[in-house]
Amino acid sequence: MHIPDGYIDLPLALLFGALAVVVLGVAAKRVNGEISDARAPLLGVVAASIFAAQMLDWPIPGGTSAHFVGGAFAAILLGPHLGALCVATVVTIQALVFGDGGLVVLGANVFNMAVVEVYVGYAFYRLLVPYGEFRAAFAAGWLGITAGALTAALQLGLSSAFQYQLLTTLSIMGVGHLVLGLVEGAITASVYRYLARARPDLRPNAASEVSA
Amino acid sequence: MAREYPDWLPRALATLLVLSLLAPVFGWAAGQVGYAEPLENAAEATGATEHATAVGTALFPDYGVPGLGGATGTFVSAVVGTALTLLLGAGIGRLLGADTDGRQ
Repeated sequence: MHIPDGYIDLPLALLFGALAVVVLGVAAKRVNGEISDARAPLLGVVAASIFAAQMLDWPIPGGTSAHFVGGAFAAILLGPHLGALCVATVVTIQALVFGDGGLVVLGANVFNMAVVEVYVGYAFYRLLVPYGEFRAAFAAGWLGITAGALTAALQLGLSSAFQYQLLTTLSIMGVGHLVLGLVEGAITASVYRYLARARPDLRPNAASEVSA
Repeated sequence: MAREYPDWLPRALATLLVLSLLAPVFGWAAGQVGYAEPLENAAEATGATEHATAVGTALFPDYGVPGLGGATGTFVSAVVGTALTLLLGAGIGRLLGADTDGRQ
C-alpha cells in the first residue's frame, strides 16, 4: 500500500500531507506528558515490531502476497494517538531509508496507514469490544486496513497517472484489501490476545487516553 | 540516576531478532508465488506503472544492501530498520513522556 512518487498529483499529495501533519500534531499534543517512563520503551518496541512484521511477506498462492501493516494493532495496544505516531514513525523510516513509498507522497502514505488505518481500526475496536475483544481486534485489523486502502485508492483514482479511473482503483484496491485484510485481522487479534493474556499490564488505559 | 528498564524488554528484543531472521525466508517464499499487491494491479490496469518515479536515493533500496546477496541484504536491512525504528520510537516516547515518572 506504499504509494511511490509519480502516482499522485502534487496538489493531492500536499493536501493529504498537510492533513497528516495536523492529525499527528493533535495526537502528539493529546499524549504529551502522559507517558510514564516504564511505558515509553513500548512505543519503540511496537514500532520496531511493526517494521519487522511488515518485512514478512506471506505468500498467497495465485500470485500475490500480504504483509501485516499493524495500524489497528498499534491503536489497540498503545491507544489511537500513540498508535498513529508509532505507525507514522515506521512509514517514514521505510520511505527515507528503504525507498518504500515516495518522498513527495510521504504525507499521503502516512495519512493512509498512520491516520486512517489507525483511527478507523480503533473506532471499530471500540464499537465491537462489547461483543468480545478477539472479535473486535479482528474486525479492527480487517476493516482498518481496508479503509486505508480505500483512501489510497481515492488518491490514486483522482490523479492523472491513473487517468482518473476512480472506480477501477476503488474496486481493485478495495476488494483486494478486503480479502487480504482477513490476514491482517487474524494476526491483529491473535497477537493482541496473546499479549493481553501474557502481559495484561501492557494494555493501555484506553478510556483515559480517549477522553484526554 | 540510572533508568530502570521494564522486565519485558529482553524478551521483546529477542522477538524482534527472530522476526528479522525470518524476513529473508518470507521474502524468498513470497518471490516463489510472484509478488503483486493490489496497488500494483491497479497501476497496471490503468497504465500508471510508467509514471512511478524515485525522488532521492535510499540507503537500502528495496530492503537490500548494494553488493550483498538477496537474503543477506534483506536480513541486514531488517536489522537496521528494526533498530532504527526502535530507537526513534523509544525516543518519541521519551520526548512525550511525563515530567515525573508515573509508573502504573
